[in-house]
Amino acid sequence: MKRSLLSLLALALSFTLATLLTVTTKSSVFSETYPEVVCPPTLNGLSSQISIASRKTAFQRLATKSTKTIPFNVLRYPEIKDSLIVSALGTTPVIWQSRSGSWAGGTLCTGPISSQWFVGGSSDVRTRGNIVVINSGLSAAIIDLHIYSENGKQPLVSINVAAKSLKVISLDSLATGDKSLTVQVVPRSGRINAFMIDELGAGLKALGGDLVNPVNSTAKTLVIPAIPNQILKRGETPSAAHILRILAPADVDANFTLELLSENGTFVPVGFNSRNITAGVVTEFVLSPKIVASSFAVRITSDEPIVAAISSKFITNGRRDFVWSTPTSALTPMKMAVTGLSPIIVFAADSIAVTIEVALVNGKRSIVTIKGRDVATWRVPKSARSITIIEASRETYAGALVASIHGYGYLPITPGSILAKVEIPHSNIRVLNP
Amino acid sequence: MAEKAALGRHRVSAIIVSHDGQTWLPETVAALTSQTRPLDYIVAVDTASKDSSQQLLKSARIPIIDADRKTGFGEAVSLGVESLKPVQTETIEWIWLIHDDCAPAPTALEFLLQAIEGRPQVAMVGPKLLGWHDRTHLLEAGVSIAGNGARWTGLEPLEYDQGQHDGIHDVLSVSTAGALIRRDIFEEIGGFDKNLALFRDDVDIGWRARVAGHTVIAVTSAVVFHAQAASSERRMVDVEGAFLHRPLLLDRRNAAYVLLANSTWWMIPWLAFQLLSSAMVRSAGYLLVKLPGYASDELLAVASLIVKPTIIFKARKDRKAKRFVSSRIVSAYIPPRWSQLRLSTSRMFEAVRSRLLPASDTPSTSILNSLEDEDLLVPTKSLQWLNLFKKPEVAGFILLSLITLIASRMRLGSLIGGALPMSPDGARDLWKSYFESWHQVGMGTSQAAPPWIAILALCASIFFGKAAIFLTLFFLVAPIFMMWSSLRLFKKITQNSWISVSASFIYAISPVAIAAVNSGRLATVVALIIAPQIPILLIHWKEIELHSWRRIFLISLVVGVLTAFTLSVFVILLGLTLFAIFSDYLSFVADQGRPLFLERIKKRLTLLLVPFLLTAPFSFEALLAPSKFLSEPGLSVAGGEASLVILGNPGGIGSLPWWLISPLPLILCVALFSSSKARTIALFGTGFLSAAVLFSSLSIATHGNSAPSRIWVGTFLVGATGAACMAGVVILDRLRMVLITSNFHFRHILAALLLLFSLSYSVLTLGWSVSAGADSPVQNSDSTVMPAFLSVEKDTKTLVLREMGNAGSKTVQYYISRGKDISLGEPDVAPPQVSEIAAATQALIDGSGISSSKVFADFGIKYVFAKAPFDKNIIRTIDGLGGFTRASATSVGVVWRVAGVTGRLVLIGKDGDRELLEAGEIGARVIVTHPGRILLTESYDRSWLVLQNGYRLERTVSEQGSPLFIATQSGEISLLHDGTIRRAWLSFQLISWIVVIIAAAPAGRRKREISDKELA
Repeated sequence: MKRSLLSLLALALSFTLATLLTVTTKSSVFSETYPEVVCPPTLNGLSSQISIASRKTAFQRLATKSTKTIPFNVLRYPEIKDSLIVSALGTTPVIWQSRSGSWAGGTLCTGPISSQWFVGGSSDVRTRGNIVVINSGLSAAIIDLHIYSENGKQPLVSINVAAKSLKVISLDSLATGDKSLTVQVVPRSGRINAFMIDELGAGLKALGGDLVNPVNSTAKTLVIPAIPNQILKRGETPSAAHILRILAPADVDANFTLELLSENGTFVPVGFNSRNITAGVVTEFVLSPKIVASSFAVRITSDEPIVAAISSKFITNGRRDFVWSTPTSALTPMKMAVTGLSPIIVFAADSIAVTIEVALVNGKRSIVTIKGRDVATWRVPKSARSITIIEASRETYAGALVASIHGYGYLPITPGSILAKVEIPHSNIRVLNP
Repeated sequence: MAEKAALGRHRVSAIIVSHDGQTWLPETVAALTSQTRPLDYIVAVDTASKDSSQQLLKSARIPIIDADRKTGFGEAVSLGVESLKPVQTETIEWIWLIHDDCAPAPTALEFLLQAIEGRPQVAMVGPKLLGWHDRTHLLEAGVSIAGNGARWTGLEPLEYDQGQHDGIHDVLSVSTAGALIRRDIFEEIGGFDKNLALFRDDVDIGWRARVAGHTVIAVTSAVVFHAQAASSERRMVDVEGAFLHRPLLLDRRNAAYVLLANSTWWMIPWLAFQLLSSAMVRSAGYLLVKLPGYASDELLAVASLIVKPTIIFKARKDRKAKRFVSSRIVSAYIPPRWSQLRLSTSRMFEAVRSRLLPASDTPSTSILNSLEDEDLLVPTKSLQWLNLFKKPEVAGFILLSLITLIASRMRLGSLIGGALPMSPDGARDLWKSYFESWHQVGMGTSQAAPPWIAILALCASIFFGKAAIFLTLFFLVAPIFMMWSSLRLFKKITQNSWISVSASFIYAISPVAIAAVNSGRLATVVALIIAPQIPILLIHWKEIELHSWRRIFLISLVVGVLTAFTLSVFVILLGLTLFAIFSDYLSFVADQGRPLFLERIKKRLTLLLVPFLLTAPFSFEALLAPSKFLSEPGLSVAGGEASLVILGNPGGIGSLPWWLISPLPLILCVALFSSSKARTIALFGTGFLSAAVLFSSLSIATHGNSAPSRIWVGTFLVGATGAACMAGVVILDRLRMVLITSNFHFRHILAALLLLFSLSYSVLTLGWSVSAGADSPVQNSDSTVMPAFLSVEKDTKTLVLREMGNAGSKTVQYYISRGKDISLGEPDVAPPQVSEIAAATQALIDGSGISSSKVFADFGIKYVFAKAPFDKNIIRTIDGLGGFTRASATSVGVVWRVAGVTGRLVLIGKDGDRELLEAGEIGARVIVTHPGRILLTESYDRSWLVLQNGYRLERTVSEQGSPLFIATQSGEISLLHDGTIRRAWLSFQLISWIVVIIAAAPAGRRKREISDKELA
């Protein structure tokens, strides 16, 4: 009996020990890195300024074969020609491009993409715009361009881009004669970034331009958080100040509703409730809200996945210009370089509560808390070099509006490179067993 | 009257050759004097007998010729013949050869003479030889010689004489015991060959008489009883040439001599081969039954002729001079090979039959004893086939077979999955994998292949080399074998078939059995089959001294086979041995029984260490990598948690769901508090279960998997399951009688609950097995991982990336392929990952691997293959990295070619230029065009050699840890992996197995140890 009890005790002890000593096998270990971001090149006649958050931020030129990086040593870097590959380590650099006396616009330097939608540009006689496809990888790449216009889906265009090089494609070659373009860039292979410059002109007369910020994917709900609204001066004739360009790229027609959020209230403008759009056809709607706010936001909900953007017209110093405002993703903690830009950031949400850390050029830091409903605006101090979204309320969207002597621009407040959490692979011969 | 006149024409002189024959001589002499046809003359040749033979002969008034003790039989006969007076011309003189251990029947001579009447061509006539002691035992009726030198009588062993061979037969020769030879022909062919002092002289003289144009016949009406004293070692063989008085040696030597001296010249090579090979086979057989003397006799006999070939040349020359017809005429009397084969097979089956189905001791009842009024045509017993199915054994096996067949419906074909890799094409590949000193797995390894590969290869060879078919059948019939094996054990415990069959059925469908089969756990399946035999063999574990050494070695052999599959068996045995030694120590400290204690220690350590030695060097390598002690053959697949293991379920993929709780732990608990033998068994079972639970908490990284995974404790649970079933049998066997004889009380309720639990478990388990369980990880599949185009380039290394796991928890894993999927045995020798490759692969995945392609090229990796489906973002990342060019993108996956010159063998010039050299699978012979460093992109091993002009090139280690050779001049080089160490280990292993098999085999008896009765 004694032995039996001892035996049972040993079993119980083994079980207790086994339960206590069991080391949870962590089969997955992750490596977290920020991929390098790519800034667009400075095309002929343009000038570029890249805002960086740290002087130590390193970069390499796309054109050079060397993979060696060098630091910027400045917080705002003027680039004459090349596309730059920046090791930004989680901070999103911003590039501000302008054509002297014609237009200005900004975009984010971004990491390699799997798909990009450019809702903007045209292929008619007025267009002088381009789409720039950059292969920052060390192998040749193949890229597909899916083109949509008011005449439906256009034939697929596939291009090859050699390693560490770029290709500039004129927008008028994509759907010649069509006015409203939407382009999806899908790399089949390679480390690819794309940028679109929408520039219009009539003869020698410049009709403005802008960098079209990309949308990563289609969605049923889109929020365009910052749309500049030029308030008419007394005596000025109202015109089609804003044009909504929208596309349902799938095979089924979509019904959408546009809701306008502004300091003057939230409402659905007349004619934007359950509007139908044909699948595969780029459709434009004139949006002329009677509001007095200098900026507003829109929320578009659809029964099918869509992409959209709003083009806003301006008259600056007697010149015509336009700005493409594009949807953004909901705010998440992120850091963006804003040296020399001093943008106005527009937040859009039902309830806004955002905490931002502002880093100044002199090294000082301050915390700003933005609170409000529907729409809130905040101007970044002129001496700021970076802003960091520390905390943001749920489903809050933000975009930045920048004004310069050459024109206006729009920047989505969204990270240009996402922390890539890659699982560290482990060797296992089992992979060779069917 | 005419017959008598005819017989009168013959003069018969008997020559008795005597050598220490006092045992048989009185009867021999008496037999001669009582012949119905009296002898004309009788003479004895005594070869200096040391016993009273001479006195016996003298007292019978037989003239004696004295000869030297070393005088051979033929020489003695010649002395006798010389002493005979010349005869009249019209009389035919015959010599009747009489051994001192043979006794002719009274009519023997008369029948012999009758047979030769009317047969003038007959030169030699012999009687039917019957046993001396058992006079119904037919020894010979004519004799011949087989191609391998065996004495051929064409009779069954211990054949009973019923007159089945009666008649007068034309034969090659007859035994000299009782042979009647015409004197003139005897002298014409030169008598007996002096080189044949004893044994086979009869075949030789018959053969020579035949080729001289005469006839030899055997007359079965003439009977001689023969004791065969010399060949059965009843007396010492002292003749000249009988080295160390060994009759077998002399017999085999003489057999070879007869064949080589008499056969046609073109048969000599074939005969020599047959003689040598059969001598080796027989030697092995004798060694197996521990008769090394006989084994050496076989080999020495052939060797003694090889060292003196001139004897054969001279003998052939002598025979040629006296040959009248071609030697080929005797071919009709040489037994064909198929009849030798038939007889051998028949003997083997008879031996097996007598072992498995021993003759019943129950006296048979004669049908004549039945009642007189019964019709004798009516069978006394009718067999009712339906009753057969009512037998628990038959019903149990049929049920299990049906269930197994249904549950295995997805496993009818080449099996892959779980821990089981793909089967190789044939047994040849398994043998190759076992014998190779270098394995082309991953970056290559010289680790010793586990011994189970050789066992599997051996089994596959029986199935015409089809390893896949063997494995399919093995997994199909494994549950039936498990039931059979456990039934053998349980039948030793109980007489009640219902109890034993039910217990063995539960054993075969136990959680560990089902999980092992479903997840391809080869070692556990083998353990489930073999383990029940160990308690049968090792009855006295506590008093181990009661077992003979032969039994200890037999058990060691069985355990060795198990250890060959998994070293967990050694761990179990180590635990049991230490516990037993400690227990013995405590007992003997009190009793002062030191000699017995030492005896027990010796036997226990033998039992522990012999299996460890048998599995060397694999077992020795485990000392350096202890995780091998707890691993199973095949892929590293995680086992279950302790909470599952404590219920007897090993867990992991393919195991029973947690809610299917087996009654085995409950039985163990009940048995622990039983007062019978069940408690002792349960103590063992609980020990096994405790060990299983404890080990299930550990995780190890082994068998090519760098991530630790939970240990599979199937082998430990085999012990627990077996013990639980045994304890259950003991309890039920005892309880049954108690329940019958006692009033209703708690025991009835307990037994009912136990039975109900077992029944519900069985029904639910069978239901699960044929439904969800049939979709087990191990299934028939012919899919492959590697695309065919990557297998075209021979031995090209490809880094294979693959997402593994379920949809929710996929992980990226990789391994280096040599252009093909892995097959059986390869995971067991898979080397651990190389840190540089691991880092480069990580960098490849996270996009930071600018130098990954260079690292891969340095290790000879030519391609990177992402097996579909694979994360597109990672594919894009690899696209973006330099040094990888897409080679293809198909539904199978994406392939990149690694930039730079890379391959298995690379010549690096002084300027750093790389040139790819042709390299075979392991070794290579190639020309280097200029001096430089030769990089072999394999793991470093001291056995890698490169020879140039007969000299070894200087070997160093590259930065990546690969072998690097310095070639100072151009020219042809030979790359090879020196397998001397592996061969030495294989030799050691072979010798170890042979020694243990011999030690475990039942000992044979020398002929002198066989009783007269058995010899007949």
